[in-house]
Amino acid sequence: MKGNIIKYAQDNIDTDVIIPGEYLKIHDYAELATHAMEGLDPDFHSKVKEGDFILSGKNFGCGSSREHAPIALSHSGINAVLALSFARIFYRNSVDGAFLLPIEIDEDTYDGISEGDEIDIDISTNEIKNITKNQTYKMKPFSDIIEKIISAGGIFKYNPDQN
Amino acid sequence: MGKTLFEKLWASHIVVEKQDAPSLIYVDRHLVHEVTSPQAFDGLRINNRKVRRPDLTIATMDHNVPTNDRSLPILDQTSAIQIQTLEKNCKDFGIKLFDINSPNQGIVHVIGPQLGITLPGSTIVCGDSHTSTHGAFGALAFGIGTSDVEHVLASQTLWLEKPKSFEIRVEGKRKNPHAVTAKDIVLSIIKNIGTGGGTGTVIEYCGEGITDLSMEQRMTICNMSIEAGARAGLVAPDEKTFDYLRGREYTPKNYESLVDSWRDELKTDGDAKFEKQFILHIDDIVPQVSWGTNPGMTCDVTELVPSPDEFSKGDLNQKKGAQKALDYMDLKPGTPIVDIQIDRVFIGSCTNARLEDLIEASKVIRGQKVSSTVKAMVVPGSQMVKKQAEDIGLDKIFIDANFEWREAGCSMCLGMNPDILSPGERCASTSNRNFEGRQGTGGRTHLVSPVMAAAAAIKGHFVDVREWDLN
Repeated sequence: MKGNIIKYAQDNIDTDVIIPGEYLKIHDYAELATHAMEGLDPDFHSKVKEGDFILSGKNFGCGSSREHAPIALSHSGINAVLALSFARIFYRNSVDGAFLLPIEIDEDTYDGISEGDEIDIDISTNEIKNITKNQTYKMKPFSDIIEKIISAGGIFKYNPDQN
Repeated sequence: MGKTLFEKLWASHIVVEKQDAPSLIYVDRHLVHEVTSPQAFDGLRINNRKVRRPDLTIATMDHNVPTNDRSLPILDQTSAIQIQTLEKNCKDFGIKLFDINSPNQGIVHVIGPQLGITLPGSTIVCGDSHTSTHGAFGALAFGIGTSDVEHVLASQTLWLEKPKSFEIRVEGKRKNPHAVTAKDIVLSIIKNIGTGGGTGTVIEYCGEGITDLSMEQRMTICNMSIEAGARAGLVAPDEKTFDYLRGREYTPKNYESLVDSWRDELKTDGDAKFEKQFILHIDDIVPQVSWGTNPGMTCDVTELVPSPDEFSKGDLNQKKGAQKALDYMDLKPGTPIVDIQIDRVFIGSCTNARLEDLIEASKVIRGQKVSSTVKAMVVPGSQMVKKQAEDIGLDKIFIDANFEWREAGCSMCLGMNPDILSPGERCASTSNRNFEGRQGTGGRTHLVSPVMAAAAAIKGHFVDVREWDLN
């Protein structure tokens, strides 16, 4: 999974800035995506490209349970968010709805990757390659359960007797 | 070894449990509102599924309903569509709905307990993070996203990984319980453990500082558990809990026999072990005011706005976050909190819009007028709260003081209905989140208790409400 990094070097990016409350009335996901990150970065929609990744600090996605948050990012083209830690409802929504991969990283990885870097994430080996800087980091592996739900394609497709 | 209350609630709701896999947990009550449910109902239709237990599912509309005259049409078309969609979904799937004209309409976390729908020992979910509120009754209650809403509608169950248990013991007694409130206790907790301090846990609040509180005050505490990152907050039920629920509209017929079993079972065993613990001493705590853009950025009303260095204690991201927050809030380090002038006051939300909140706030403003520089509003948490308040004349006290007296809804807590801040406006708010833009793009939120908000409305700036006679 290759893409470029959009870095928000801060902690506590909350779901109200990922998708402000006034847009929760929007039913169409493509339209919702045009407002992604608007509360923090009004330029996000114009700069994000299909396959990009977001990199951020601790407690990403804190606040509301709105699934609109991972949906808006996913429909903007974001395939994964790399963060030092995640708020649990955001993490769960991302995985259960199969919208994007929430990837936990360590401080060295966070410091090592810069805005615009091209990286390649391999979740089978838990490796993150920084193609731009020719560096390699380790992501925190998904738990067995999360890995199974991801490979099933979301909570509805997950069956503990089969997966 | 003994079990914690959380472990007992968890164990009694397991449908399927396997080694190294999530457990399938049974859901006793599913609360539904207009914003996080439309796609879930769409999903049921696409897959030709029914609602498994419509009798255990209750809906209301709260997030985007206007709070002005209910006889007027809803001008915002997308809000009107979302409200009509909930009406249609409830009709099609046989779900009880308290609609905009129902006397039982209100914020979902206010009406659940008021109607006797929230019960000790139960599991409660809702597509809203402040579902943690219901934990005040000894229920395991937590917010879920829309995919999970669909899963619960279809199956009345949810796959869950077991959270860790976290004991927060609140010791001591508040010196002035009218001025130092449950809101100040929970803001103090979040200030200390941080907005990620409870991540992955279910918090049980215990100790004298909690058992002393009324049910409505306990709800304020549990409500904000999510602001510390916790899945849920819990208080073990006691006689106050059982008295509160007795005789309400949906309280079960066999209530007294249920109470007998709850009294024995719903408590943490003496030898149980928590995976995490925090103790807060409240003898000397004072009213709290948030100065930044998350609920952990809070200080005493007697303090000065901190500098990023003071706040961050060496953590670079914390320092940057504090600087960004100060810029957004347009505050300078070293400014006394009591010198901060405000433009708006909002008394409302699932955190602080219950009858007791309004009674306490009314004591502050009785016979006084809102400052000419401030626009203030009271939005009761439910139409029942509104009626109870009007029955004892609170509406008149607020209106005489130049507060607006509104219909029930989430209102200015979250900026998705007509009640919003204008860019740059500064609000003393009894709600739960001071995130950037939460109350409207560019709006600045200071989280406070209802009495602190009311006093700020009168003076036009924050004041230490301990100096006021509130008896």
